Order: sequence, then C-alpha cells, then structure tokens
Amino acid sequence: MIDRLRHAVTDAFTNLGRAGWGGLASVCTIAVAFLIVGIFLLLTQNLGAALAQWRDQYQVTVFLDDGITADQLALLKKRIANERAVRGVAFISKAEALQAFKRELKGRESLLEGLGENPIPASFQLRIRDEYQTPEALRQLAGFLTRLEGVEEVQYGQEWVDRMAAVLRVIQLIGLSVGIVLGLASLLIVSNTVRLAIYARAEEIEIMRLVGATKMTVRLPFLLEGLIQGGVGAGLALCLLLGAYRATLYQLQLAPGQIYGLGLGSFLPSGTAAALVAAGAALGGFGSLLSVSRLLRA
Amino acid sequence: MIQMYHVYKTYARDVEALVDVTLHVEKGEFAFLAGPSGAGKTSLLRLIYRDEVPTSGQILVNGRNVVKLSQRHVPHLRRTIGVVFQDFKLLRDRTVYENLALVARVLGMRPAAGKRKVAQVLRLVGLSHRANAIPYKLSGGEQQRVAIARALMNDPMILLADEPTGNLDAELAADILHLLREINAKGTTVLVATHDQELVREYGRHVLMLKQGRVVEEYRDGR
Repeated sequence: MIDRLRHAVTDAFTNLGRAGWGGLASVCTIAVAFLIVGIFLLLTQNLGAALAQWRDQYQVTVFLDDGITADQLALLKKRIANERAVRGVAFISKAEALQAFKRELKGRESLLEGLGENPIPASFQLRIRDEYQTPEALRQLAGFLTRLEGVEEVQYGQEWVDRMAAVLRVIQLIGLSVGIVLGLASLLIVSNTVRLAIYARAEEIEIMRLVGATKMTVRLPFLLEGLIQGGVGAGLALCLLLGAYRATLYQLQLAPGQIYGLGLGSFLPSGTAAALVAAGAALGGFGSLLSVSRLLRA
Repeated sequence: MIQMYHVYKTYARDVEALVDVTLHVEKGEFAFLAGPSGAGKTSLLRLIYRDEVPTSGQILVNGRNVVKLSQRHVPHLRRTIGVVFQDFKLLRDRTVYENLALVARVLGMRPAAGKRKVAQVLRLVGLSHRANAIPYKLSGGEQQRVAIARALMNDPMILLADEPTGNLDAELAADILHLLREINAKGTTVLVATHDQELVREYGRHVLMLKQGRVVEEYRDGR
C-alpha cells in the first residue's frame, strides 16, 4: 500500500512535468488568487494589530485633589483597581507629571520658570479592558469615578472612542465582503483552469478506463496532482507576499514592528501560512476531483 | 467466448445501429466482423467491452452477462479484454514504454513486475528497441504494434481490433494480421472488425458479415 502510494506520488510529479504550461496555468491561477487573499489577510491583521495598540494606549485619566492624604490615596487606588472595567492602574505623582510635561516642552523649559508651586495635579492612568471599550461603558465608569472622594476630574476621549469603534466596524465590514467576493471568484477561476487542464487529458482517462481502471484508480493521480498544484500555488503566493512585504519595509527603511502606526507590523503567523497552503492544496485537489468525476460520468 | 442473442442497439432519433444480432465466437477462434463502414461493427465491439449497453437482447462474454453487469464490475470485465483501434489511441506526450507502463499502473502491478510485463509484450510485437521512442515518430505499422502491445498488457482472453489496418498500406496490414494470428495461436480469442474485403478473403476463417446492423452472412473455413 505504502509502496503504491509512493509510486502514485512519483507518477503525479512526472505527470505535472508533462503537463508543462497547462499545469503551470493552474498553479499560477491558484497563486494569484491566494496572493490577493494573502494581501487582504496581511492588511487586516496589521490594521487589527495597530488598532489594538491604539486602543491599548487609550486611557482614562483620573485627576486627584491636591489635598488628598496618603490613606485616601491608597483607598482610592484599591477601589479603582477593583472595578471590573479596569485592567491596570498607574499612579503618577505631581512631580512625575511635571517631569513629563517638561520633557514635552523640551527646549522651552524656561516657560515654566515663573511658576512657584507645581500646578499639575497627580493622577491615576487607567487601562481599560477590551470589552469595556465602548462609549456607554466608559461614560458609566467616568460617572462612577467622579463621585469618589479625592477625585477632582475624570478625562476620557469619548469622541475618539466612538470614531475608533465606527472605523473598526467599517474596516471589518469591507474586509468581510471583499473576502467573500474574492474567495468565490478564485474558486470559480481555479476550478475552471483545473477543468481545462483535465480535459486536455481526456484521452489518458479514456485509455485508463479502457484497460480496466476502477474509478478510484483514475481519480487518485488527478487528486494528488491537484493537491500538489494547489499547495505549490499557495506556497508561491506566500513567497511573493513575503517578498513584497520585505521590499515594502526596505523601501520605508524600517525594521519589522517599527511601523505599527502605518498598520504594517508583522508577517502572517506560521499557523495562518500553513492553513493557506493547506487551503490551496484542498482547493486544487477538490477542483481536480470535481472535473475528473464529471469526465467519468460522461 | 462471445455470445449475443437478439441484440438491438438503437440510438437517439431511432437510428438503428444493430438489429436482431445473434452470434457466437468460440474460445480460441480468430473471427472477422466484416462489412462496409456504418454497418454497426464499432457499435457491436463496444457492446462487448461494455462501453455501451444494448437496447435489448443478451450478451455473454466468457460466460458473464455483460448487460446486467453493474458499473462497479465493468473494470473486471475490461481486464479480460484487450482493445485496438484504427487510430491507435497512443498518448503523444510520453514514450512507448510510458504508454505501456500506464496500463501496468492501472492494473496495480508492482513496478518491477510492470517493467517485466512491458518488456515481454514489446518483445512479442518486435519493438523492444523502440521502448524509448515517442509514438508519433514511429511508422503507422509500429504504432499499431505498440497499441497491440498495450492491449496485451493484461493477458486478455479476448482481443478486439476495430479496423486495425485502416491506416496502413497492404504490406503493413499483412504484418499486423500475422501478429494477430500469432497472438491467437497462443490462445487468445481474436475478433477483428474490418471493411477490407481483401483482408477477409485472405485471412478469414470465421467471418460474420454485417450490413445495416444485421448479420447477413456467416461462414467458417471449409464450409
């Protein structure tokens, strides 16, 4: 059995060599289809990553009364940290806040010279869990925090969050529809190309049946060839995509991960790449099998 | 070996290819199916290797009722039959050896056994030295020999030849007929369909004359 399978795989490669341009057409079609799908995946992934990072940076700031005591501060921190929406709390003292402000003013520190007392309040910087990053949840949280003792003011960028959520929804919607349309289109094109390649071999199938091949015997080599073509096509697409990605980074003179702001931070993870190759193989094998079965019925 | 009883084959639009055909070809016989083109010779052969089923009537091949044969069992029938065509039907994109090796693979032979079988049938048709040639670079006679070699790969009990000499001149045709005779001498039942009266007169021992789908005449040697 293993012997026969090995034989079949060898035959498949020989036949692919024989198929020449016709076989190459199938591989290229699958490669182009997967290249498009891959570009789309890469963009969505990186946009998603960029958005996640923006979200992460997005914080709720709780400004504190200048007269707050150490005990009040500790109690307040505990209460805030216990809130379900809060993922993390960082305390920034008046001195630290001033320090940060000075850094931002770099070169124009003299502006602050006339100041006697430090005017900047101490604050808590809150990081919010993803599931609470909605305008409604944030408004509720802010309302609650404002009423706590020792809190002077609560700031959060509601508008920014609203806009962000809307943009994300639009991107996801566009991504989904483009993905569906492209997926269907590539399936059609691929199955058509594979069918053409197989019709060119109708004579071979006829002879195999004439000398007593079972349907399975006829199908097996075509199935294997389809699997190989599909896998190779998808692999080729990944190589092209990786090349294009690297070239883009090079053009921008950036290292991977350095351009999150542009939404181009990382290549597809190996799991996704493997899944794409597997999908290509499945597509090729399925298209091949479908076309052979049609010929066998005729 | 081949028995037909009141076989009719009607195609769409009432084209009657075969009308009430009853015939017997005995085991080990060398028989001719003669008649002009369009007489139904090809249709009759196709019924034997179950490429088609008759509209009515019964057909027994080696004792097996091929009319009632399920699709699943057709391959088993075909492995007992070799078929040769006028246009050879050789695959142009591979060598003589590869054309024959395809059959070995289909029959599930191990690679070593397949190689031996290919060498054996090539020797039988006298083309051992042509194993690596591309079929269309061979002469017509040689191509037909390759086709015959392919038909012999499965050691058939029956060899069907549809106008095997149709594309060959008289001399090459005689060569092919001699080859078929040799194969017949080794025990294979041979049925040759041809419109070539000359060939039938010279080689015919058991002749079935077909005309407009009917067997109009049948004679055996010495009768």
